[in-house]
Amino acid sequence: MGAPLLEIENLRTYFYSAGKQAFVRAVDGVTMTIARGETLGVVGESGSGKSVTALSSIGLISGGPGVISGKVAFRAHEGERNLLADLEDYVSLGEQDGRIMEVSKDETGWQEHVERIMAPVRGKEIAMIFQNPRSALNPFVTVGHQITEAIRLHTSTKDPQDVKERALHWLERVKMDSPRLRFDNYPYGLSGGMCQRAMIAMALSSEPSLLIADEPTTGLDATIQSKIIGLLADLKSEFKIATMLISHDIRVISRLADYVAVMYGGAVVEYGSAPDVLAAGFTPKHPYTAALLASIPSAQNARDHGDLPTIEGEVPDAIDVPRGCRFYARCNRVTDDIRSKCARREPELQEVAPGHRVRCWLYGD
Amino acid sequence: MSRTILEVIDLRKHYRQRSGIFTALQWRERFIPAVDGVSFYLKEHETVGLVGESGCGKTTIARTILRLTPVTSGRIVFDGHDVTAMSARELRPLRGQMQMIFQDVDAALNPKMRVRDILKEAISTHHRLSDAGVAQRTGELLEQVNLKKSKLSNFPRELSGGEKRRVGIARALAVGAHFIVADEPTSALDVSIQAQVVNLLRDLQRRLGLSYLFISHDLEVVQLVSHKVAVMYLGKIVEMGLADRIARAARHPYTHVLWSALVEKKSKEASHALVSTRTSAWGVFDFERPVSGCRFAPRCSVYEAKGRPAVCTDAATEPQLRDIGGGHYVACHFPL
Repeated sequence: MGAPLLEIENLRTYFYSAGKQAFVRAVDGVTMTIARGETLGVVGESGSGKSVTALSSIGLISGGPGVISGKVAFRAHEGERNLLADLEDYVSLGEQDGRIMEVSKDETGWQEHVERIMAPVRGKEIAMIFQNPRSALNPFVTVGHQITEAIRLHTSTKDPQDVKERALHWLERVKMDSPRLRFDNYPYGLSGGMCQRAMIAMALSSEPSLLIADEPTTGLDATIQSKIIGLLADLKSEFKIATMLISHDIRVISRLADYVAVMYGGAVVEYGSAPDVLAAGFTPKHPYTAALLASIPSAQNARDHGDLPTIEGEVPDAIDVPRGCRFYARCNRVTDDIRSKCARREPELQEVAPGHRVRCWLYGD
Repeated sequence: MSRTILEVIDLRKHYRQRSGIFTALQWRERFIPAVDGVSFYLKEHETVGLVGESGCGKTTIARTILRLTPVTSGRIVFDGHDVTAMSARELRPLRGQMQMIFQDVDAALNPKMRVRDILKEAISTHHRLSDAGVAQRTGELLEQVNLKKSKLSNFPRELSGGEKRRVGIARALAVGAHFIVADEPTSALDVSIQAQVVNLLRDLQRRLGLSYLFISHDLEVVQLVSHKVAVMYLGKIVEMGLADRIARAARHPYTHVLWSALVEKKSKEASHALVSTRTSAWGVFDFERPVSGCRFAPRCSVYEAKGRPAVCTDAATEPQLRDIGGGHYVACHFPL
């Protein structure tokens, strides 16, 4: 199929914390790709930079300085575009021993520029499903109206009757029960699961090439979660739409993703096909991924270890990022051979098997 | 044999529905039976897990036990006292013994108070202590919930989700409670943090001899922490028994649906039997269109497979919880 649909390259998004007088390095050099028709699962704890990566790539970051470097190549119908084109004209960076310490950015100028780039893309080529469907829908407007608005804006269907038919078609597609009835409902009249279905219908109604789903099942009941996951799986096989699926729940990722990127402290620490990354047992893998898999509260994990294994320590500080490996302080697989490297130098994302990359000193130097 | 610390007998809570001015004018009142005849008991040092989907009445039960909500009928006996019949003054000493950990960590902690003051307030509400005494107790609590001393001067917004949860637990312990209602203590947390909280709760139970009513929609977590599990569906308990039995030998079709939801999450290749449960058409339950007979029938695959037997939908033969041996209760005409 040639070049991938979306290529995020060395993306950096920083925020400035006025209280601490320092940069919050929310996303610090992230590279990931999504091929056509494939689902990339991005997994990691809160604050690991998953959502910020997604929001940065579609220009939805507010707060300074925001995106400061990187490239987002997007190849939809009209050929390749860099969604962060000319970023370097707006930003100048000051480095100190290999670390960015000073940023000056023309934020308003960049915001206007990025709006120009994104206007034909956002919502049309790239659609997004948010974590909390209830707050993502407009509470004062009926569900049907919100979907018809998306169709009118983003597709060639303009005739009011056709638009309505189209909206109902999508509501049926996402298996909303009694779509004609729900069309005139306000979001408060719908359950959480139904709101999420309406969101998905709205996202799909503009027939995007890429869908970004940010924690689409978090906060829903277990039974509803599994139905939404089932729906996403059906839609994936039906429409072959490329998806970036963000979740902290590795179980959700394992059910839907073809490729997985594990994020930790603003960086990708492991990247590969889902079977490789999520396989149980010992395969070359990042200690963090192994710990994430072991800490799932399940009867099986508890039986093997008595208590549930947890990841000791805390999510790393995004302000005072450690010099060495970001996971070093919590890692339980540091050996004496590599200890000094772990503490001092950040490992590269190394290929340990074809298509499987790990950022850890355990695997080569 | 440990004694029974909490007994809930035929608890009912019906909320009155007010839907706009016109129905009010018609003097027609609708009642929503959020909890409809629930009975169970909890022994000392034990955990009972309450599991079910949103809206099945789990949280209502929790709130009525602590008398944060008055009951419609039924009795709640805590430590030999009928909570439902007590005046607010009589209830006060009991409040020190039972506490609740709330679902929403952000809403449960006052954003304008530092952790130190949050704990101090809880400690001094029920015990008169000197400043030194409060400081010592605070130190103990922090150690119990494994929280750093440096966090005492933080505001809740400066804490991570797991830390806020720990402060909530410490606050419940601060008053000296030995019975804790934990309402979805893990649902708002990252999966990796959930394990820490589960471990902490189990550890505290061992060390302090706590009893828990553990409420969650996640059957897997419930099964991990509980000795006994009660599965609720629309205001009623449909299956109850030892956690192991519920995990390995569940008999009610609804419990199977809950489990299959988890299994599906874990593996891509869900078996065909499970797929059929998933796709069986089920809408969201509507309290306004009450189903007669078994409440689960409209969503039940067994009901469909048996050719919709009349016994399931006859109001006179609504299935009741019955003992099927080994302290395992099921409310179903055709247990699996």
